[in-house]
Amino acid sequence: MKSFFFLLLLGSYLPGLAQNNNNSLSADSTRSILLSEVLVSTKARSDQQRMLQFYRSNQSSGLEDILSRLPEMSLIRRGTYGMEPAIRSLSGGQINVLIDGMRIHGACTDKMDPATIYIEPINLEQLQLQTGTNGFINGSAIGGTVNLKTATPSCHTPNKISGTISTGFQSAAKNFYESMQLNYGTGKWSLRGTATWRKSSDYRSGGGERIAFSQYEKVNYSFSAKYQLNQYNSIKADYIGDNGWNIGYPALPMDVGYAVARIGSVSLQQENPGQRLYQWSAKLYANQVRHYMDDTHRPNVPMHMDMPGTSLTYGVFTEGMAKLNNKQQLRVVADFSATRLKASMTMYEPGQRPMYMLTWPDNRKDQAGIGVNWEYRADSNWLLQSVARLDFISTALTSQEAKDHISILGVTDAGRQELLKNLSITASRKIKPWLKSSISLAYAERMPTATELYGFYLFNAQDGYDYLGNPGLKPEQSLQGEFSLITLGKKARLKVTAFYNQIRHFISGTVNPAFSTMTIGANGVKSFSAVPHATLAGLETSLFLKPLPQLDIVSTLRYTDGNDNTGDPLPMIAPLKSISSVRYQFNPFFLQLETELAAAQNKISIKYGEDRTNGYALLHIRSGFPFRLAGKETDLQFGVENLFDKHYHEHLDWGNVKRQGRNAYLMLKWFF
Amino acid sequence: MKKILYLLLSFAVLCIIVFLSACSKDKTAQNPTAGLTKISEGYAIGAGAKVEVYTKETSLTTGYTKFYLALYDSITGKRLDDAHIHLTPMMDMGMMQHSAPYENPASTDAVNYLFPCSVTFIMSSMGGSWTLEIEVHNHANDKEGSITLPITVAEPATSKQKSFTATHNGAKYFISLISPTSANSKVGINDLEIAIYKKASMMSWPADSSLTVAVTPEMPTMGHGSPNNVNPTHVGNGHYKGKVNFTMTGLWRLNLDFMSGSNVADTTQYFDVEF
Repeated sequence: MKSFFFLLLLGSYLPGLAQNNNNSLSADSTRSILLSEVLVSTKARSDQQRMLQFYRSNQSSGLEDILSRLPEMSLIRRGTYGMEPAIRSLSGGQINVLIDGMRIHGACTDKMDPATIYIEPINLEQLQLQTGTNGFINGSAIGGTVNLKTATPSCHTPNKISGTISTGFQSAAKNFYESMQLNYGTGKWSLRGTATWRKSSDYRSGGGERIAFSQYEKVNYSFSAKYQLNQYNSIKADYIGDNGWNIGYPALPMDVGYAVARIGSVSLQQENPGQRLYQWSAKLYANQVRHYMDDTHRPNVPMHMDMPGTSLTYGVFTEGMAKLNNKQQLRVVADFSATRLKASMTMYEPGQRPMYMLTWPDNRKDQAGIGVNWEYRADSNWLLQSVARLDFISTALTSQEAKDHISILGVTDAGRQELLKNLSITASRKIKPWLKSSISLAYAERMPTATELYGFYLFNAQDGYDYLGNPGLKPEQSLQGEFSLITLGKKARLKVTAFYNQIRHFISGTVNPAFSTMTIGANGVKSFSAVPHATLAGLETSLFLKPLPQLDIVSTLRYTDGNDNTGDPLPMIAPLKSISSVRYQFNPFFLQLETELAAAQNKISIKYGEDRTNGYALLHIRSGFPFRLAGKETDLQFGVENLFDKHYHEHLDWGNVKRQGRNAYLMLKWFF
Repeated sequence: MKKILYLLLSFAVLCIIVFLSACSKDKTAQNPTAGLTKISEGYAIGAGAKVEVYTKETSLTTGYTKFYLALYDSITGKRLDDAHIHLTPMMDMGMMQHSAPYENPASTDAVNYLFPCSVTFIMSSMGGSWTLEIEVHNHANDKEGSITLPITVAEPATSKQKSFTATHNGAKYFISLISPTSANSKVGINDLEIAIYKKASMMSWPADSSLTVAVTPEMPTMGHGSPNNVNPTHVGNGHYKGKVNFTMTGLWRLNLDFMSGSNVADTTQYFDVEF
C-alpha cells in the first residue's frame, strides 16, 4: 500500500559526509527541510521522512508554525499572523529572509509583514536555514539566512494532470483553510498552480477568553511554468500573489487593512554547462508589497490615522557550482538588487488640516555582491569549508520631501556607501564512525536597515517609544563561532550545537531626551544608536530516537543568553524551550503526542519595557490515517493542540497577548 | 523597429532643446510684476510719476505686509527705476489717528523696476480707515510729489500680528510673523522670521533690536513639539531670523518668549501656522 508523505531532509548540504551515512545530520550549520509532496510507500519510509510529522505536525497550519519548530529559530509575535522570524535571537536586517534567493522587503514600518507571510507552505519545496557562521553567501548578514525555495512544476508525474485538494478547520479561531494545487506536465512543458484561502476569526485563548483583533483573511495564489529547452537547459517563470485583509494585531494599536504582495521572476537553469562547471543558474526578479495600516475598527482611538507603505525590489543573480578537482568544490554567487521604500502617516483631527508625515522617507538601497563557498575534502574524515562574501551597498533618500524630513534630525547628507566583508571557515571531522564534530569561525557585517537609518517617529508598541533613525550608524560587525557534535546511529542520533556571537556597533534604541514624542501617549523618543558591543551565546540540541520500527521520538531543546556591554540582558530573547514528539504508527493510523515546554524568562530588558514571562507546558495530541476516496489517495488528520487549555504567552509575544487555548483541528487532503 | 526608436529619441532630444531655450527666453522677457497683485494706483502729483502698489498676497491682512511699488513717467508711461520714496501709513479712528511700523525702500535704485518696502498693519480696517501716503522724489526729473491711497486691511483667519506690554519696562511691542506662512511651510526645516517694533508714540514705531527671542513649536492637537529649532536672532531693522522645524503637516503653534537681558519681557505670545 502506498501513501503520501512529506519528505523532510536534514543536512544534505555536505554531499560527501552525508553520503557516508544518508541519515546523518550535516556538520555545518545548514538545515534543509524538504516540503514537496512526494509519493512514498509506508514501508520504505526514509528515516528522515518522519521528521516531517515533527516540523509540520498540523498540516493546515502556516509557514510560521514550521519555522517555530526549528530549534535555531524563534518568532516575534505581534498578531496571530505576520510573526517575525529570528535566528538565534537575531532578526530584521540582521538576517536574510529570501524567497528562492530573491530579496523582498516588507512594506510595513512596524515589521508587521515579514517576507514569510507572503508564502504558503504549499508554494514551497524546501526550507533552507543557515545559521550565522555560514549564512551570508547570499547577502551580508550576521545572523544567518532563511531561504524559502519555491516548488518547481514537474514533468515527471505519471499523469498529465495531478494535484491535491486540502481542506481544514481549526476550532480555537474558527479557522478555515482551503487549498489546491495543480500540476500539468507534458514532455517539455510543465505548469504548476496553487491557490490557498485562509479565514480566521478572533481566537479564544486558554480559559476561554476571546482575543479581540486577532482575526485575518488571506488568499495566496501562485503560478509557475517551466520549459525544458533541451536535456540540460530549462527556463522557468514564477509568480506568487498574496492578498491579506482585515488582519488584526492585538498587541498593536492598529490593524492591517490590506497587505498585498506580487512576486515574479524568470530564471534559467543549466546542468552540466562546462567541464568543471556542473550547474549554473540565473534569475531576474521583481516584487512589490503594499501595506495599509488601519485603526477604523478600534474603539477609543484618540485620533484616526492612515499608514500606507510600499516596497519595490528588483534584482538579478547568478549562481554556479564547479568541481575544481576530486577534492575541491566551488560555489559562486553574484547578485545585484535595488529596493525602494516609502511609508507615510496621515492623522485626522476634525476641523483641521490633515497631519501628514513620511515615516519611511522615500529611500533606496542598491546592493551588489559576490559570494564564494569553497569546500576542500582533505580525506574521508576531514572537510574544510570557507565562505566569503563582499557586498557594496549604497543607500540614499530619493526625494526632496524625504531630505527635508531627515534634515530636522540635523543631517544634511543621509546617503551611505558601505563595503561589507564577511568570511568564515569551518572544519569538520569524523572522529569515530559514530561521532562527528565541526567547528566554525566567522566575521560578518550587516548594513543598518532603512528603519534604523531613516525611520521617522516610528512607534514601538513594546516599549512605548517613538524611534528615530540615525543615518550615521555604522554597520554591525559580528565575530562568531559555532561548535557541533553529532552522533550517528541507526536507532539514536543526537546533535548538540553551541554558539557564541559578539556583535560590535550593536544597533539599539537609546532614549533621546532632546526630542519630544510624536505619538500620543508615548513614553519618549529613542534614537537608533550603536551599543559598543553585545554578546549572544547559546545551545541547541536535537535528539532522534527510533527504538522500534513503528516508534519515532524527536526532541529539540534550545537556550540563548544575550547581554549588552553593560551586562544588561538583550530584549526578545526566548527562554529555555523544548519540543518533543512521540509518534507510534499503528497501521494504518498513527498516534502522536507532543509536549512543548518553556522555562520562565527572568532575564529581561527593562530598558526595552520587557516584563517577566512565566514558563508553561503544553500537550498536543494528533492522529490520522490514509484511505481511498473516489479511488484516490486521501489523507485525514486530526488532533487537539493545547489539550489542557493552558492560559499562556511566550516571552516574544508583544503585549503579553495570550496564545490559543485548546484547539481541535481536522484536515483532509485528497490527491489526484 | 530600431529606426522608430532612433526617431523617437531624436524627437525627445529636440523637445528638450526647444523647452530649455524657451525657458531662458522667458526669463529675460519676464514682466517684473508677474505673479503680484495690484492693490492700488494713482499719480504722485508734482513728481510726474504714476505709482502702482503691488503685493504678493491677493488681499491685504493685518501684519507685516511687503509692498512692491512700480513707478512710471506719467506722460510717456516709461518705467522709472531711480527715485527716493518715503511712506507714511495712517490709521484714522475718528477720535484719534496713529501711524504704524513701516520700511521705506532700502535704496533709490529699483530692483528689477520695483521698489520693495513694507508696512506693518497693526489692526484691520474694522476699527477705522487706513491710508498710505507715498512721497516720491523722481530722480529722472528731479521733482517731488506725493499720493495718499486708501487701503483696506482685513483680519486673517490666523493672526500673524500680535502685541504685548513688556513686563520689564511697560512699553508696548508689536510683533509680526513674516515666515513661515501657510503657503511656504513644509515638513522639514523652515526659515523663521519675525519683526519687532516698539510703540514710541502715536506717530513713531521704531524697529526694536533690544529683545532676545526663544521659539518653541508645538502641535496643540497632538501635544508634541519638534527638535533642533534655532532661536531667532536680530539681523537688522527689527527683523529676527531663526529656524523652526515641522515634523508633519497640520496646525503648529510657535510659542515665543521675549527677554530683555535677563529680564522677562513677555512669555504669552504665539503664532499659529497651519499647512
